[in-house]
Amino acid sequence: MSARFPVTTAVAGIGVRQYKRGTAPLPEQGVLVGAIVDACADADIDPADIDGFVSYGDDHNEPTRLMKDLGTKDLCWSSQIWGGGGGGIAGAFGLAAAAIMTGQASTVAVFRALVQGNSGRLSGAVMAHHLNDHLIGTGLVAPALECAMRAQRMMEHDGVPAQCVEDLVRASYYHGSRNPKAVTYGKDLDVEVYRSSRLISEPFHLFDCSRENDGAGVLIMTSADCAKDLKQKPVYLRGVAQGAGKGWGDLCQNEPNYSSAGFESVARRLWAQTGLGPQDIDVVQLYENFAQQGIASLIDHGFCTVETVSEVLRFENLIAPSGKLPVNTGGGNLAQGFIHGIGMAIEAIEQLRGTSSNPVPGARNCLLAGGPGAPLVSSAIFSTDQE
Amino acid sequence: MKGLGADGPYWDALSAGELKLPRCADCGHWHWPAPFRCADCGSWYFEWVATPIEGDLYSWTRTWQPFDGTENLGTPYVSVLVELPEAGGIRLLGLAADTETPKIGTKMTGAIASSHVWGRDVPMIRWSAVAA
Ligand SMILES: [Zn+2]
Repeated sequence: MSARFPVTTAVAGIGVRQYKRGTAPLPEQGVLVGAIVDACADADIDPADIDGFVSYGDDHNEPTRLMKDLGTKDLCWSSQIWGGGGGGIAGAFGLAAAAIMTGQASTVAVFRALVQGNSGRLSGAVMAHHLNDHLIGTGLVAPALECAMRAQRMMEHDGVPAQCVEDLVRASYYHGSRNPKAVTYGKDLDVEVYRSSRLISEPFHLFDCSRENDGAGVLIMTSADCAKDLKQKPVYLRGVAQGAGKGWGDLCQNEPNYSSAGFESVARRLWAQTGLGPQDIDVVQLYENFAQQGIASLIDHGFCTVETVSEVLRFENLIAPSGKLPVNTGGGNLAQGFIHGIGMAIEAIEQLRGTSSNPVPGARNCLLAGGPGAPLVSSAIFSTDQE
Repeated sequence: MKGLGADGPYWDALSAGELKLPRCADCGHWHWPAPFRCADCGSWYFEWVATPIEGDLYSWTRTWQPFDGTENLGTPYVSVLVELPEAGGIRLLGLAADTETPKIGTKMTGAIASSHVWGRDVPMIRWSAVAA
């Protein structure tokens, strides 16, 4: 029996500014400062009191460069999860919690900012992190292509049906069309449009792929005790795990569990440290750079197996409020928008505050599953309860 | 090369018209990507073994969208992952010789070629299905 994760930290504030690609009103750092100030207003704290910063995915905004705008009194914690992709998103909350629990910082902003005129196209930035001649020489120059090869194996060899992929995409768009903050608000995805959309890299159709938006998202973490005295209902960090088990990592496509999303050891540790299992999760924010990778992630986390995937991944089952496994209730990376996944973390908090546009009645535990198929992955559980 | 760097002999061999892959000189385990140290036995010594360019198609993708860096490949093009039974099941990335729909499990044979990407030539293997 492994030690329980101490549920002593919470998210106290959220802020997000999302724009259509190429339309951000300020350069990246300015957009980020705006989102931090928004999150502080949400929590009712002074931006100058933030004393820690955490990010992931090779974010370019060094905390020391934010201090001037925020009036930071004392920068006590400054760290980032390794890796160029979205694999580290949930682990970032673990870094913030570690800082708070050990007294190294008290008020930590977990953020991701991306304005493409400043940081380049997201896909290129993610890929630059681990491009090598094995990939360059064989045309595998974008994340979609490497992920497509894993997805092809999962579908053609393992037998995950295309219908499940379609249902997951439709569920994301269903939620997005009902979320005023989503890029696809008011727009339903026609099944025929989905099926006939152009191929990017087989098996990915256009609508299987995440969007790319400009913007920044911020979540403020404090101790649970501090959060209780602030403006919003605290949403507790119930558990978090990051990493890669032996046989996963940056292995040039030589992983034994090739068609998985790489979460085997992370999911095992997350369930063990929380005493929870898939049956305890009320709603999932599932990072899906590509829909098929999201399915591999759900399988890795134990929500279904290759054998039961068709029973579980049905449209009706994936939508709020009536489905048993509501997924990406804001629309996710496919339909809500994509600032390297930070919007999914914010939707997790909105769901547990009860302010989501697609609320799941009585939701207590929300899983945030990070970028699937990345060399390093991470997952976290947020909760309305401390125990 | 980011995160790699132990695979110089692989590139040297490809440039000389041969496929060579690393096997631990002490415990005999094959490794890929090439490490500096064998984590199975602690050895720092590897034999680079000349290997037939033959294997089984493990996965593939056919790309239709032009991406920066693929100008010289045209679209569509097919990237493949081939498992080499003669080299302990090491999987190598490559390009397919044609744009037909591949099938996982197909016996493949390859020839050394090169891609021209971002102003330089990068050696790679072009794979074809073995005629049944
Ligand atoms: Zn050895």
